[in-house]
Amino acid sequence: MSNVIHASHLTLSYDNGKKEIIKNANFRIQKGDFVFITGPSGSGKSTLLKALYGQLKASEGSLVLGGLDLSTISTGKLQELRTHIGIIFQDYKLINEWNVAKNVVLPLMIAGYSTEIQEVQAKRLLKHVKLTDYGERFPLELSGGEQQRVGVARALAKNPVVILADEPTGNLDEYSSNVIWDLMENACQQLNTTVLVVTHKIPTIFSLPYRHFTIESKGIYEVH
Amino acid sequence: MKSIKNHLMFILPLMAILLGIEFFLVFDRTTDRYEKSLKEGYSMLVVAKKPMKLSTFKKLNNHIKISQPIKRKAIISKVIKDIGESSKDEILDALPYFYTLKLDSYLDTRELNNIKKDIEAYENVKKVETFGESYNDSYRLFSFIQFILEVFIIFIAVVSLLLIIKQMEIWKYAHKERMQIMEIFGAPLMLRSGVLFKIALIDAIFSTIFVSALFLYIKFNWAKDSGINIIIQNKEELFMITDIAILLFSALVIVVVSVYSVVFTTNGIDE
Repeated sequence: MSNVIHASHLTLSYDNGKKEIIKNANFRIQKGDFVFITGPSGSGKSTLLKALYGQLKASEGSLVLGGLDLSTISTGKLQELRTHIGIIFQDYKLINEWNVAKNVVLPLMIAGYSTEIQEVQAKRLLKHVKLTDYGERFPLELSGGEQQRVGVARALAKNPVVILADEPTGNLDEYSSNVIWDLMENACQQLNTTVLVVTHKIPTIFSLPYRHFTIESKGIYEVH
Repeated sequence: MKSIKNHLMFILPLMAILLGIEFFLVFDRTTDRYEKSLKEGYSMLVVAKKPMKLSTFKKLNNHIKISQPIKRKAIISKVIKDIGESSKDEILDALPYFYTLKLDSYLDTRELNNIKKDIEAYENVKKVETFGESYNDSYRLFSFIQFILEVFIIFIAVVSLLLIIKQMEIWKYAHKERMQIMEIFGAPLMLRSGVLFKIALIDAIFSTIFVSALFLYIKFNWAKDSGINIIIQNKEELFMITDIAILLFSALVIVVVSVYSVVFTTNGIDE
């Protein structure tokens, strides 16, 4: 199986290496894997995710995503790579002045798809996340669960190679959380998308086979 | 309403800068023309013992541009009427040579005195007389007004730039999150800052139109009724078609710099 993500002797730090968060980590994630990364607060889960979408560069070692080394990648290549990554944030990060439909097709807009294709895809994606009639509404008119479904629809818009999710159900009730896990399971199962989720707790209702990494004492270890 | 206010907060300081630029252009042109007329009105009369060439004058002082000899026979012909034809050659021999000198630019009193001294120091020159000193006071007043105006324009431009920077901070706050989210999803710089450029370009065009319209009104309506001679005489200098290009270019430069200052300080996503 091909590696979608490959970390080799990866060290991540802030303040020019003064504050080490992750040290000498090694792991490989294959296409179609569903991966949970757990660990205590402040252990470096979100830092790892930041590194995976190119917001933080490795201070040592390498982190390769989709064949591109993120520690040496150029700005242009990083922009291109980001169009193949779907990202889901705990606080949704929707654009509040845009309506739901426009938020959902943001990755298509960036990729230069025509308005007609964007409209068709917005309808399909909103139907997929069960928000068919919500296209014209604005994010602040929706509940937290609905906003996160918009976030998931946006992450799926361009059939990404990998979905990175940072505590996607952290702010949601049980029902909304289950809907989100369902959607992510479907993406992994039906589209063979690699999904990497940073979370405090693995959901009990999860039915797919998954891999589980934990971050402890600056190291990343596979536990399941 | 909020949107109009946002536009005005950018358009007004931008207009202040453009007004400053246009005032500077108008005053510069008017001063240029005024200096030209002063230069043309100013002349020196040199009385020399022997004939002198322009090159000799230029060697004495390189500000001398033209030397025109005054025909001695013409002077004599007036004198002859009273004295008689018989003494003509005698008078012609005794008469010195007269030259009118023109300068290459309008110079201040100190420099004019230096030229006079340089010419007088030449052994062949008997006397140097200057004409046009009555222009001196008005020229000084004109230069003083120009200096005051330039200081005022610089002051207004600095204050306006500070207001624009302040407005940029508001824009930065208003658009920061959207631009950061777009960046995370791989949007190139031009796409994520597209809205800002659009707003700023519209404001730049409006500012240019407002300032141009104001000066066109001054030129075609207000100037002729103003009763101010210098404005009526220099009406054409009040606004030129090339000024639109200068104003638009200046506005666009300010806009591009302002927008990029917002775009480059909103990289990365906030926690």
